Amino acid sequence: MHGSDELREGLGSAMTGAGTPLDAANQLCRACVEFLDVDGASVSLIHDGASRGTFGSSGRMSRRLDELQFTYGEGPCLDAVRAGGPVLVDDLNDVAEVRWPAFRDAALDAGISAVFALPVLIASAHVGALDLYNRRPGPLAHPMLAGALLAAELAALPLLDLMTAHVDWDSAAQGDDGWEQLASLERVEVYQATGMLMAALNVSPSEALARLRGFAYAHSMTASEVAWAIVERRLTLHSDGTGPARHTTEDGT
Amino acid sequence: MSADRESEVTQALLGLASSLVNGYDVVDLLDDLVADCTRLLDVASAGLLLSDGLGVLHVMAASSEATRLLEVFQLQRAEGPCRDCFHAGEPVTVPDLAEAADRWPQFVPAAQAAGFASVHALPMRLRENTLGAMGLFGDTPGPLTERDLTLAQALADVASVALVQDKAVNDRGAVVEQLQIALNSRVVLEQAKGVVAHIGDMDTGQAFVALRRYARDHNQRLTAVAQAVVSRALPVQLVLEHVLQAETDLP
Repeated sequence: MHGSDELREGLGSAMTGAGTPLDAANQLCRACVEFLDVDGASVSLIHDGASRGTFGSSGRMSRRLDELQFTYGEGPCLDAVRAGGPVLVDDLNDVAEVRWPAFRDAALDAGISAVFALPVLIASAHVGALDLYNRRPGPLAHPMLAGALLAAELAALPLLDLMTAHVDWDSAAQGDDGWEQLASLERVEVYQATGMLMAALNVSPSEALARLRGFAYAHSMTASEVAWAIVERRLTLHSDGTGPARHTTEDGT
Repeated sequence: MSADRESEVTQALLGLASSLVNGYDVVDLLDDLVADCTRLLDVASAGLLLSDGLGVLHVMAASSEATRLLEVFQLQRAEGPCRDCFHAGEPVTVPDLAEAADRWPQFVPAAQAAGFASVHALPMRLRENTLGAMGLFGDTPGPLTERDLTLAQALADVASVALVQDKAVNDRGAVVEQLQIALNSRVVLEQAKGVVAHIGDMDTGQAFVALRRYARDHNQRLTAVAQAVVSRALPVQLVLEHVLQAETDLP
């Protein structure tokens, strides 16, 4: 059993060295298996309530179970995103568990008894879910549940990178620790700047954050530096349609 | 305690108690609470840091929007009296920051640059859990009086109760979930402030006042109004017009 510190460290560094967002997501899923004491993990990307697809997974079984939720159009991961909160199923064998008949049978056939689906948020918008699978029934005990919630936070990073395709995962200005990257985005000024970009560019919260982050990388700035510049109106990001945002400086700095 | 101050303290506690009984928005309540702290206690600024599931601290409320104040709080993710207080579950009192430069080499210069000379950090406790810490900053060196410290801890305790609402506090998972919900609400509020600031061409402090005004006058929760702004269900123009109207109506 791992302690809180080990969990943090293990999950935070899970994506180190990943070449692509997909590699990063796969590595994170494998770290979930290692550190959260589960038998499988997958990350799915969801849009408008319909699953768009499995993004990363710890292995073939997890990938298949995740994909089945798309096939059937039902499952805990879709519900987690729809409800905006975790869906924790301790025991699929329970006859009272009738929410997803097709998915339930498929999971039980695969030898899975417990499923924990946690929404993945980017800039407060639900964009996907992290699914954890267990062969044995039973709840996620502390500190595993806390670890799972934070793994779901980390899962936002590769999804964000998918949105800003030019971002080079290895040259991340914030170092190679996933938590540090996340910490650079979890700041009050970044949230405020995200709101200003939403209004200025007429985009969703997640796209605004992706633009901010992409701009920061492209200009070797931290997310916080870009955010302060936007909040203090020293920097305006313009949308030029397809490409990443370009900038104008209003006071020459 | 002067009669005036005693009456103010009573009013503040009554306000909090009434919120707890009648239902409240946790973000709104905690913002009120840090404002109460700066008014009732001999401190210049106050803020709340809240822990997520694995002990990372996030700014939940601060008594001003000043860049430097926010930085002083955000720095404490890595080091500082609030972080130490949170980890120990005990108050950390620093009457003179100048003497603590060795202990927190990054935090102390940042706090001094922001104009602070003393800091008092109080744990937000709930039974066996420490949820976060309340930081009180003074602009002159010196200790807080025993009376101020007691009152501050009482306010921090109210904040703790407000945070977990009616969840069973012995359920660790429920507490973690509740804190995550509170932190997410804060994110949405900050985004809404950004949206209103951009469209209304104002700073984020004014945007906050506008959102709060709209929420209160329409008997809605602040978080719900922020969510509606962010999801575009509520046009920002309505918020701006309402605030303009409310100002015009003042005698």
